[in-house]
Amino acid sequence: MAYGINGRILRVDLTQASVNTEFFDDNLYRLYPGGKALAGYLLLRELPPGTDALAPENLLVIANGLLTGAPISASTRFTVAARSPLTGAYGESEAGGFWGPELKMAGYEAIVVSGRAKQPVYISINDDKVELRDARELWGREPEEVQAAIRHELGDKRIRVLQIGIGGENLVRYAALTNELRHFNGRTGMGAVMGSKNLKAIAVRGTGRYLDSAHDAKPIVDLGRALGKRVKEHPQAWDLQVKGTPALVGAFNAAGILPTRNFRQGVFEGADNLKWEAYEKELLTARGTCYACAVRCKREVKVDDRYQVSDAYGGPEYETVEGFGGYCGVGDLQAVAKANELCNRYTLDTISTSVTIAFAMECFEHGLIGLKETDGLDLRFGNAAAMLQAVDLIARREGIGNLLAEGSKRAAEVIGGGAHLFAMQVKGQELPMHDPRGKVSVGLGYAIGEHGADHLYSIHDTLVANPDSIGFKGASPLGVEALPAQQLGSAKARNYAILENWCSFGQVVGLCYFGPAPRSFTQIEEVLTAVRAATGWAMTLADLLQIGERATNLTRAFNVRNGFSRKEDTLPERLFQPLENGPMAGTLISKPEFERTMDELYRLKGWDSKTTVPTRDRLRDLDIEWVADLLGV
Amino acid sequence: MDLHLGSYLSWYVPQKPSRLVIHLDRPIALMELVERLKLPPAEIAIAAVNGKLVSLRDALVSDGDRVELHPPNGGG
Ligand code: SF4
Repeated sequence: MAYGINGRILRVDLTQASVNTEFFDDNLYRLYPGGKALAGYLLLRELPPGTDALAPENLLVIANGLLTGAPISASTRFTVAARSPLTGAYGESEAGGFWGPELKMAGYEAIVVSGRAKQPVYISINDDKVELRDARELWGREPEEVQAAIRHELGDKRIRVLQIGIGGENLVRYAALTNELRHFNGRTGMGAVMGSKNLKAIAVRGTGRYLDSAHDAKPIVDLGRALGKRVKEHPQAWDLQVKGTPALVGAFNAAGILPTRNFRQGVFEGADNLKWEAYEKELLTARGTCYACAVRCKREVKVDDRYQVSDAYGGPEYETVEGFGGYCGVGDLQAVAKANELCNRYTLDTISTSVTIAFAMECFEHGLIGLKETDGLDLRFGNAAAMLQAVDLIARREGIGNLLAEGSKRAAEVIGGGAHLFAMQVKGQELPMHDPRGKVSVGLGYAIGEHGADHLYSIHDTLVANPDSIGFKGASPLGVEALPAQQLGSAKARNYAILENWCSFGQVVGLCYFGPAPRSFTQIEEVLTAVRAATGWAMTLADLLQIGERATNLTRAFNVRNGFSRKEDTLPERLFQPLENGPMAGTLISKPEFERTMDELYRLKGWDSKTTVPTRDRLRDLDIEWVADLLGV
Repeated sequence: MDLHLGSYLSWYVPQKPSRLVIHLDRPIALMELVERLKLPPAEIAIAAVNGKLVSLRDALVSDGDRVELHPPNGGG
């Protein structure tokens, strides 16, 4: 097999308690080389439209990318996909860590889980030996115990465990999956899909080597070494290692676009308490990493002070620091770390959890819900104790938590009285901590993204705004233009479309967002070298972009078949209104300009601007004309 | 003057500090300070003086100011 480690897909039917292995044809793998492409392909072909996301019929696809587990930095990610219980659309979430590479070592590109087990089970994969094992004793227990119990039961400490906590068991619509207790497939509720199948965990041990099946191992080894040496001399990589993503708090607060109090404001008065300097002083114990990655951007934390925060579940990233920080009006990093620990323990997506709690806070402050509905919880902005209690209630689906576990969109429909204006979501998925009023491409991505608001759907405008910057130079082979961050219009639509394809390609092959251009730790030419060396395919940069675009078209087709159209490709009304404070006070996104830019984007993508259905011509260009037949166009 | 160097801007200065206290006898152009510290202007996306966004090319800074410089950021 001329790619990755092996072309095998594992099929697990939990209803029948059966396991089968399937071989994936080389020609198909060229079109769908893993991750989002492979998941999109399988879900589009095999999942009938309208399938209830939490029914046994939903398919949970876990897919590695072509480069997942290659011994080079920032090449660790795998995708979990299914119809999303949060959005009803194509759902997907990537995670780094160690689990994906281990699955690759065991010889599998993907696992497709169908059906529902009669009682809780876990899947054990040890190279060719795959079995379903009883997990009744593990159900309801915390990830730290579960991981230890599985390793003990199977007698191997090196087993990697991907699992759900009680958030997934209780079908919280934005429940996550965790591997190694500190890496998360956070978004779109894939943990709830796993919970609905009575599947507690997937334990993997593999003894293969990525390089053994590579077409030409040497360029990959050389690149791995070069990247290992590059960390110290590369400003962005150095920054990720030393300061990590929490450094964004200071930058966005200074720029006036730090999402504060449910996107009303752009400056948080307590931001100094959340910046990375405070993080280093109050939380940090060590730096962590993912498989074979020299960047080491992950944080280890422990607190034994105002709050007790366990060191078992990793430290909060920027999204979480700000989500439970300024976004909920809380300027206490220890409270934030506690919220992060609880979410990780319960496997809740920290973005959707914090944004849904802030939604409830705004409803509470406007009197749409009161102490009666919250069972006495004083759910005001800034009340850290109430925020932490809300996390607990959501995971257990108790009291107000049962409503909030449905996500802000559904909760707003129940609350009524204009609550939908406070629900900061697209297609039902809550917005991450990036304000499109300061960088409009992020808004285009929130709107058009197949799985609802997602900040990693494309590249943020700021990274390619200055033609002399490292970011722009790194990305310039893609053919982008340097444009101001707040400028909409057709040139921006074009930049967006190119960069979306590039990001999508990264999600297909398993690259981490922090590696390739415009981060530029890994240069575009080096990504091409890695793909060619792994596969022996004579690919060009245009081919890589086409892989990305093809994957997006598959997931768009999935959404179209599930009833989605242009009207869901939008932004919350609040972003078309002015920011209330700080240096960007008064700044808004012009709706007509935004819509015109979206029109241009559909045109560039070859999609109908009303229905968003891809044209047959475009699908043919992407070598997936079968999708046109499926859509009847 | 209190100077904050956000994210990877610290990397360009010896000892890689996130914060520098600089004494200024007279107001100077922010660009002069940037040149003195050998910071690459193309990597400065955000410049703020006392909580107000300023243009890197035109701003003046004085002793007692709180100045923040940040590179372009995204993702996270
Ligand atoms: S850059 Fe950070 S998140 Fe990405 S693979 Fe490396 S350690 Fe993991």
